[in-house]
Amino acid sequence: MDYGVMDVDEVGPRVIIRESFPDRADFILENVDLAFANSLRRTMLAEVPTMAIDLVEVDENTSVLADEFIAHRLGLIPLNSKQIEDVLYTRDCDCDQYCENCSVTLTMHAKCTGDEIMKVYARDLVVSEPRPNEWVGNPIITDEAGLGAVICKLRKGQEVRMKCIAKKGIAKEHAKWAPTAAIGFEYDPHNKLKHLDYWYEEDPIKECFKGLYPKKNGMWEKESANQADGEPFDYNAVPSRFFFDLESIGNLEPDAVVQQGIKVMQQKLAAVLQELAGDDNRNGDVGADGFGGQEADGMQGGADYGVDQGYTTPYVNPGAASQWGGGATPYGATPYGQSGWNQ
Amino acid sequence: MNAPDRFDAFLLGDGEKKVTEEPDTRIPSSSIFTFNKEDHTLGNLLRSQLLKSPHVTFAGYKVPHPLVNEFILRIQTDGSLTPKAALMQSCKELVSDLSILSREFTKEWELRKMVGDGAKADDKGDKGKGPVR
Repeated sequence: MDYGVMDVDEVGPRVIIRESFPDRADFILENVDLAFANSLRRTMLAEVPTMAIDLVEVDENTSVLADEFIAHRLGLIPLNSKQIEDVLYTRDCDCDQYCENCSVTLTMHAKCTGDEIMKVYARDLVVSEPRPNEWVGNPIITDEAGLGAVICKLRKGQEVRMKCIAKKGIAKEHAKWAPTAAIGFEYDPHNKLKHLDYWYEEDPIKECFKGLYPKKNGMWEKESANQADGEPFDYNAVPSRFFFDLESIGNLEPDAVVQQGIKVMQQKLAAVLQELAGDDNRNGDVGADGFGGQEADGMQGGADYGVDQGYTTPYVNPGAASQWGGGATPYGATPYGQSGWNQ
Repeated sequence: MNAPDRFDAFLLGDGEKKVTEEPDTRIPSSSIFTFNKEDHTLGNLLRSQLLKSPHVTFAGYKVPHPLVNEFILRIQTDGSLTPKAALMQSCKELVSDLSILSREFTKEWELRKMVGDGAKADDKGDKGKGPVR
């Protein structure tokens, strides 16, 4: 029975990968409850750290587009975020403003000299060394011509020269840091639990699915569909199988998005545990009893368990202005727009 | 202009604690926990895990205001353990579940990669025909 009593504790979560592509993962998560699956989905959407351009120093801009307009476009360019653990959050870094441990600098310099209109692409961003690791900060280029996203167009004599500083961040702060374009999430495709209430005039299957019934996920649970006829409604049924379809933007591989999502969730829980344990026995024995043996692997070794510096350290660096116009800066007190800093 | 900073949603302020516990004086073995800079992601997760414990008689959470980045979690137990112990137990269970999930996903992903190119060719031909297990 599909929605029987859950024995989560006996086996733990199960995964079936249905399809895998360089930018997509279609998988099924089984033997967990709805809250768990949804938390994973929410974490992967909004709290997986990636790199994105956050500061732009405009040296020259004679294009038709305003500085901040181009700065915004630059921010949205996906940058490789492989092994982003090597990068510090700027707010946690010891440096004054930014440095090679907490940022990657990309420069863009283009001038149109011909009569043709020139396009400036993401490939024209030059990544400067040193940087935290060999991948981080590379613009993601997936088209066959190897051009990447268009940043702006230039007419004869127009020039853009900008220094872009990419930083680590999460999509909760700004969507440019999102690792996923979308995450498909479905459970109970035959609506046996009646969590959905389809609007219909005569036949919901005919009217709501446009002849595409059962859908892909419905096919998976085909047997249960047949049982549904005439079966009494089970009030205690809970969903336990979740269909995920994760589409990456390209900055992280889809499996890395899942793994990072899991890690972020563990860090959240560890932060709670640490706080609670700290209350009665300072630096208590949490590490010893809860996370023995294999569990430690998932936590990147017992040592940094619970020490989610990124979320606890107060930021002290002055300097950076926030990305979207005018807002007070997350990292300090420099007034917006000062000294050629745009963005 | 007066919009709150976006980082307010996930960075603890100066001296702010992640979790605070306040015993519910009206009923024995019950506490109200306030989680700062957290949302439904953690709230619902903890609530549902707590409810699986046989010693927890009540667990519920709410986000009092959508613009205030906190949620409160009320836990009542049958007295054999404190609400705080129950909460810690649930956190540990979740962390180990997540570790299992991580290993499981790595395993399945590697397997899928090994099947590799053959499977991908299949997928292209079979789009829409249903699952290939």
